[in-house]
Amino acid sequence: MSDVPQTSSQDYEDAENAALAPHDGEGEGFTQTARQAFVSRVLQSRNLATFVAGSALFAAFSFATPLFLSSGSLLNMMRNVSFTAIVAVGMTYLLIAGEIDLSVGSVYGFLTVVMGVLVGRLHFEPWLAMFAIILLGLFVGLINGLLVTRVGIPAFIVTLALLAAYRSLAIVVSNQLPINVDPHGSFYDLTGGYIQGVFPWLIVWLLGAVLVGGLVLSQTKFGYHVYATGGNAEAARNSGVDVRRVKTICFMIVSGLCAIVAALLIGYLHIAAPITGTGFEFRVIGAVVVGGVALRGGRGSVFGAFMGACIIGMISSGLVLLGFSQYWTDIATGALIMGVGALDILASRAGAAGLKVFSWRKAGGLQ
Amino acid sequence: MSAEAAKILLKAEGLSKTFGHVRALRDVSLEIHDSDILAIVGDNGAGKSTLTKILSGVHQPDSGEIELMGRPVRIANPRKARELGIATVFQNLALVDCRDVAANLFLGREPTRWRFVVDRRKMLDDARRVISRLRVSIPSATVEVGQLSGGQRQSIAIGRAASQQARIIIMDEPTAALGVKESHKVLDLIRQLKAAGAAVVVISHNMRHVFSVADRILVLRRGQLVGVRRKQETAPDEIVRMIVGADAL
Repeated sequence: MSDVPQTSSQDYEDAENAALAPHDGEGEGFTQTARQAFVSRVLQSRNLATFVAGSALFAAFSFATPLFLSSGSLLNMMRNVSFTAIVAVGMTYLLIAGEIDLSVGSVYGFLTVVMGVLVGRLHFEPWLAMFAIILLGLFVGLINGLLVTRVGIPAFIVTLALLAAYRSLAIVVSNQLPINVDPHGSFYDLTGGYIQGVFPWLIVWLLGAVLVGGLVLSQTKFGYHVYATGGNAEAARNSGVDVRRVKTICFMIVSGLCAIVAALLIGYLHIAAPITGTGFEFRVIGAVVVGGVALRGGRGSVFGAFMGACIIGMISSGLVLLGFSQYWTDIATGALIMGVGALDILASRAGAAGLKVFSWRKAGGLQ
Repeated sequence: MSAEAAKILLKAEGLSKTFGHVRALRDVSLEIHDSDILAIVGDNGAGKSTLTKILSGVHQPDSGEIELMGRPVRIANPRKARELGIATVFQNLALVDCRDVAANLFLGREPTRWRFVVDRRKMLDDARRVISRLRVSIPSATVEVGQLSGGQRQSIAIGRAASQQARIIIMDEPTAALGVKESHKVLDLIRQLKAAGAAVVVISHNMRHVFSVADRILVLRRGQLVGVRRKQETAPDEIVRMIVGADAL
């Protein structure tokens, strides 16, 4: 036994307790006022940046050509945007949840052709046929969800393979020929028609999808779980979120929306062609990325995706009105997507660096 | 030493778990008592995390029984564990970095109005209450959790478990990544939880922290139970000997 006087562990603990008792102002709950917190969130808002950029683009095109602002070309632009944007609403859910669906274009084409056969050859009532392909679309999504969450095949692989499969199915079902439909009935009026002869019903469908999709994602418990699943699936699972169910539902939302746009396209064009949707996944995923939805999950919003689809639509419409051929718009869109991707990376690096400097300063800096 | 019989909240008997060819747990039994802090200690690979993951519902035991308040139960998943009154703070914190403080505090159990819509106002109010009870400084309930310091993140994880009104709170290495001041706060919090009537199970490999806060200490070695000691009846020396195996010293 040592005869050096020892500090008992109790003495040590008492001393530590005294030294570490909270001082005034420490541990004070929220340190920012509600206004400061709000301002901070606004300044960091990706949607705000998207809105500003989109507005600037809109202004630029308006100055470049007076044709851009004519009601005819604006409505035309929004009609084209509708198809991409409606599916982009669903793709937002899926990407935020941490998964992806590359087959949306082929599923769109396949479902268009199926409805074409139901209505054009089997003479189904169009509303009934729409209901049928929505069920079929949901089933397609269910298969994707099960393959990814139960069998464990990565979504990229599953949907890449199905991209080819559904395209082939569309060609087989249609016998390689477009199918015409007889455009009489309420269905064609309420999808491809106009309110008061002026305002396209397509845009009503678009606004409905964006509104409902956006509210469900941001305000419901399910929406919160979508963000949690993509942000940290393991954390979500440990907290009781059924990650597999959330992802499967998101797959079903995407494919279900593909069915809706398939029906809308038939209502608008009165024809179902097997090449429908070629390149569609590029536009949808591009729109969603431009709108601020991160490919790794956990971030983004439906409103952002909507703005992204509008921006891509603007570029397409604007460049054509300026006299460029259709093919230049794809190059421009590609460049835009790459630019946005690079900006997002730079912004997050700058944000992290800024945060380091900020915390370093707050902690007393060089002392 | 108290003359009252300890109220047994949870009794586990004969728990075993094998992963592939690794026998993580072999025939481990334990009791969790009301208003009692139980520390689980052991070297790496002793089975501490596996044991607490079984109690949290993350893993299912290959064999063994668990009784909660005398009734046999099966903790089938984390949601079931929460329903049974068991809250867990995981070693990796299980936080969603891109989401804000409020969303993380109520992850999986968001308060709702009309069944589907999240009651954001209630969530923010409850978040404020939880944060002030923890005596930590957080910029706001809407700041992204990924932007907070390690100590703040640890507080959010603990706050999430503490606000579930659970009878049993399990913490896996709550002080491992923290500095002196922050560890002190965490240990204080553990005592607060006990005072509020919860049973706390703490995994730790920090002997000082264990002896600072535990009532009983359970030692695991290579997946097996070595023994349980009341803190007052033992000393760090004995516990360390139990951890490494008496013959090794």
